[in-house]
Amino acid sequence: MTLLADPDSETQRRPPAARRGRWVLRALTGQRAGLAVVVVVLIIVFGTLRPAFYDSRLVVFPLLRDIATLTVVGLAQLAVLSIGHMNLAVGRMAAFGALVSGFSYQVLGLNLVLGLVLGLVAGAAVGALAGLIITGTGVNSFVVTLGLDFALLGLVTLVYGQFTTLAAFTVKPPGMEELRSYSMADLCVGDVCGSPAVPQLLLFTVVALAGVGYLFARARTGREMLLTGSNATAAELSGIPTKRRVIGAHTLSGLLSGLAGFMLAVTAGSFTAGIGSAFLIPSFLGPVLGGTALTGGAVSVIGTFMGISLTQVIQQGLSMLGVGLESLNIYLGLILLVALSAVRIRQLFTRRRRSS
Amino acid sequence: MADPVFVAENLVKTFPGVRALDKATLRLEAGSIHALLGENGAGKSTLIKILTGVHRADSGRMVLDGREISPSSPRDAARAGIGVVHQERNLVPGFSVGENIVLQGIPARRGLVDRAAIRAEARRCLKQLDLDLDPETPTAGLSVAQLQLIEVAKALHTNSQVLLLDEPTTASTPSEVERLFTVVRRLRDAGTAVVFVSHKLEEVFELCDTVTVLRDGASVLEAAPLAGTNREELVDRMVGRSHLAEPLPERPPPAPEPVLELVGVCTDAGHRDVSLSVRPGEIVGLYGLVGAGRSELAKALLGLSKVTAGEVRVRGRAVRIRDVRDALRSYRIGYVPEDRKAEGLFLDQPVTRNIAVTVWDKIGARFTGVSQRREEELAATYVDQLGIRLASAEQLVGELSGGNQQKVSLAKWLAARTEILIIDEPTVGIDVRTKAAFHELIGQLAVAGLAVLLITSDLPEMVALADRVVVMRGFQVRGEVANDAHEYDPTSRAVMSLIHA
Amino acid sequence: MTEPATDTVTDAETRQRRITPARLRSTEATLLAVVVIGFAALSVTSGGDLLRGPAIQTVLTYVAVPVLIGLAQMVVLAVGQMNLSVGALGGFTAVLMGSMMADAGWPAVLAVLAGIALATAFGAVNGLLVVFTRINGFVVTLATMTVLIGLQYRVVGTRTIADYSPGLKAVGAASVAYIPVILMVALLVAAAVAVFVRRTVPGRWLLASGGNPLAARLSGISNDRILVLAHTLSGLIIGIAAAVTVASAPGVNSSIGGDWLLPSFAAPIIGGVALTGGSVAVLGTVLAAFVVRLVDVARAQFSLDPSWVSLVVGVVVLGTVVLTQRRRRRG
Repeated sequence: MTLLADPDSETQRRPPAARRGRWVLRALTGQRAGLAVVVVVLIIVFGTLRPAFYDSRLVVFPLLRDIATLTVVGLAQLAVLSIGHMNLAVGRMAAFGALVSGFSYQVLGLNLVLGLVLGLVAGAAVGALAGLIITGTGVNSFVVTLGLDFALLGLVTLVYGQFTTLAAFTVKPPGMEELRSYSMADLCVGDVCGSPAVPQLLLFTVVALAGVGYLFARARTGREMLLTGSNATAAELSGIPTKRRVIGAHTLSGLLSGLAGFMLAVTAGSFTAGIGSAFLIPSFLGPVLGGTALTGGAVSVIGTFMGISLTQVIQQGLSMLGVGLESLNIYLGLILLVALSAVRIRQLFTRRRRSS
Repeated sequence: MADPVFVAENLVKTFPGVRALDKATLRLEAGSIHALLGENGAGKSTLIKILTGVHRADSGRMVLDGREISPSSPRDAARAGIGVVHQERNLVPGFSVGENIVLQGIPARRGLVDRAAIRAEARRCLKQLDLDLDPETPTAGLSVAQLQLIEVAKALHTNSQVLLLDEPTTASTPSEVERLFTVVRRLRDAGTAVVFVSHKLEEVFELCDTVTVLRDGASVLEAAPLAGTNREELVDRMVGRSHLAEPLPERPPPAPEPVLELVGVCTDAGHRDVSLSVRPGEIVGLYGLVGAGRSELAKALLGLSKVTAGEVRVRGRAVRIRDVRDALRSYRIGYVPEDRKAEGLFLDQPVTRNIAVTVWDKIGARFTGVSQRREEELAATYVDQLGIRLASAEQLVGELSGGNQQKVSLAKWLAARTEILIIDEPTVGIDVRTKAAFHELIGQLAVAGLAVLLITSDLPEMVALADRVVVMRGFQVRGEVANDAHEYDPTSRAVMSLIHA
Repeated sequence: MTEPATDTVTDAETRQRRITPARLRSTEATLLAVVVIGFAALSVTSGGDLLRGPAIQTVLTYVAVPVLIGLAQMVVLAVGQMNLSVGALGGFTAVLMGSMMADAGWPAVLAVLAGIALATAFGAVNGLLVVFTRINGFVVTLATMTVLIGLQYRVVGTRTIADYSPGLKAVGAASVAYIPVILMVALLVAAAVAVFVRRTVPGRWLLASGGNPLAARLSGISNDRILVLAHTLSGLIIGIAAAVTVASAPGVNSSIGGDWLLPSFAAPIIGGVALTGGSVAVLGTVLAAFVVRLVDVARAQFSLDPSWVSLVVGVVVLGTVVLTQRRRRRG
């Protein structure tokens, strides 16, 4: 079949070597490279001002543990940002997942792994519920997850009140304490052991990053989700099962929230209703700083990790410099504002460059 | 001959890399209806934007009623006396008719909105249009045609001496068009200079007195009386060479057995007893006015609304198509939508993704995922074959021209190797040269064995392309017209008589 | 050639069709019915105690703040925006007012006015940031919310400021015929907002901008300015809410405002305000605030866990939007 080429065409022959890298990477490299540089610079600065910053056991270990948990939170939000939605209930979904895990340890006496799995299933289930309501009724994700957040808050508190005396599940299944405090130094292959600064909990994050990263970079499902976020109507008319993808995105978000809830409970040592109450801001901060679009269609998984790393490094550094707890929030908010303005400034700059 | 009431002289406007207006001139007489013609890209929309204050010209001048004007904003232009009714409706849905009319200058008394003044002013404007509508009516329940007239009333509120109508009849029924024409004639008789921008030459000849043609940013025909010219000459001026909707080269006869058949199909969108068939190698046209139910029929075929009675047969077997994915995978049916920006393309995504979206399951394995490289190779094939002009490999589709965008919209179905292709209004908003290229392309698809169902409101295009024309009205089939000879006059007469029967 | 006019609606038919106001009226009617029936039911179950003056006064006292924060969110929803900093701004302003009086010894009038002015200014800052960064108001106000939470803690730390202006507290506790003064203030604000939006030119511009920003722009309305105006108004109303809180609460501390965010959305949403902008429902928002308060009364009466309120409100919000969507689809 010979198809027509425009007779007056001055078609620029595209360079056969289309190995300039993925367009997503290209668009975001600038931002992520910048982030990486900032993080490294800050680490050096803080370390110079307070050498204790480099203490692997006392500082780096808990810092990486926090980064591990919050990165998963960021990924939970990223999952729905990909389709252009929002999940306001990440914190409560985490609490719900943690609730189920704690319940299975304390009341059902299950082992660590099984409890984790149940927590993940619980998170995924409530995420799927959100997705079903959204696709079934056509109501926007903001309102649905807002209502769900409300409802889950009540539900979780009520259940804790019902089943516990201290509003917490405190039974620790064997392995939980180890998971909390073990680092890579406890993992040895022959004589070679890992660094004592890297918590084993980080492995969960690595798996999550790899999984979500693969989903959006290579898997067909991930691409379809991104296109659903870009233009849902066109997606439907191109043969993408948009309803399934929306439900899938919300389910994934719930699952990751559940994982984050579990990780926080492990870190804190118990399962309480307050888990996840501070997740909402980082869930947006990470992806936004890392270059994920709020309107859908473009995500950066690594960028989310770097965004979270940046905020946590800043928090830790400032804290060590004696900046009070209260001011951390102030700086955090300001960072986000600066980051947002920076995106805009960069946009203006690129547009000017392109048009000249 | 009186002095022109409005003159735009030697307007120049340059955007980065493009000289949109190159000493364009427009002269308007008071009390006349003036057609403004030109292909897309000729500079019409830039000229309109300068007249209405959205842009400022780099050089040249505009004189209205003896005063030199240079509006810096839409409000400025309206205050100067230039009114405009855009292609898309621009009314506030929650407001009443009266409030929408006076939106630009809401009257107030003692700090509060003066409702009585709004009513009076709205009535004044509506009366000029002979429109019997209560100003308190909420805008929400009105028809598109009525909303359009309210926008004309809006322009009257600002006492426009010049009224620009930008493609006002794109989505109108014949009766709505007549009504609009009556209103426009009335305005002309009252002394307004009306500028009628349209692609529909039949309407231009029916309504307008004089014409200006833009090409490549300049006025190649200026304020010429329409009585002294004809369609061919105008088209010639627009494209720079004589151009009729050229018939396609002869095509081999289609296969005997239809690959797609509708037998007495009724849908929950409102279709009743629709029957048609398409054979491989055939182009079957689906003609009708806006509201006839053609796009809705296509969408019903894709499973987007339910078939409630009758049969849809693909390759002889009765089928029930569940959704677009089912239509594509199981039956090899594709649909190029009418509104490419809203329904056919992902504007913020690169061309590769837009083309490969239909075939990811083919170029990626279950566990290793979609290969970026294979995606790019696939896209490159079609970019070359269709002659899509790209600035770079990762260019986003939103940055392409209309013609190139439409090619991308089509490419994804070619990549999917569909055998039945429904094409909905393929050349809307595309310049004449690319239009001809598209016609050849569609012809070649038929030669290659595709069964094409072509939906278009462009009768010359229909006659040039379709082997048979199925005429629809009111969600029903009115009849079929054979078009083997591809001759405009007999076919168009037959089609029209079926429409108006 | 005459065409049967099947595609055009005649004007006479149009005059008979007044769809939009009727739909809104049904939401408000429903809410009013819920409030009346709910109150009646609770009076019965309380054995008539609820009908006593002081009991009514208590019920009404705690409606004032929800009404105000609902209105504050409503004005930004009307332009298609969101204000996540409602709680944080309210809390910060409240503790600042308390601190001005207790720590710096300012007279109550001055502190209240200064606080309201500051909250208004912060609202303006929100609006300006949204305009300049061209970013979704959600994320901008998320950021300012974070900053304000920090500032609130900075001002008050872990203490509770309770020792200030007895005069102000008297106003906070005052009532006329068992209707608290602070509720009257809240209802006055509601009335003012209604008049502003329905009968003043800037108010109409606000709704036009929210309903169709392009049409508004073409008619010379600056969408940017309207956006700033909406956020500024939101800040103003929050300032008043903070003043009401300082006047009526036993004291102010860092937890004030912490639970304001979600109710600020619940009231307008249940009250019938569209999230996409272009509509307001002042009466609906007020009634919805009453409904939420009644749920709380019920909870107290039956000694249920406070979490029940959260659960019920969440379900009601979900239910409301689902039903609204169904109605919209059918109509």
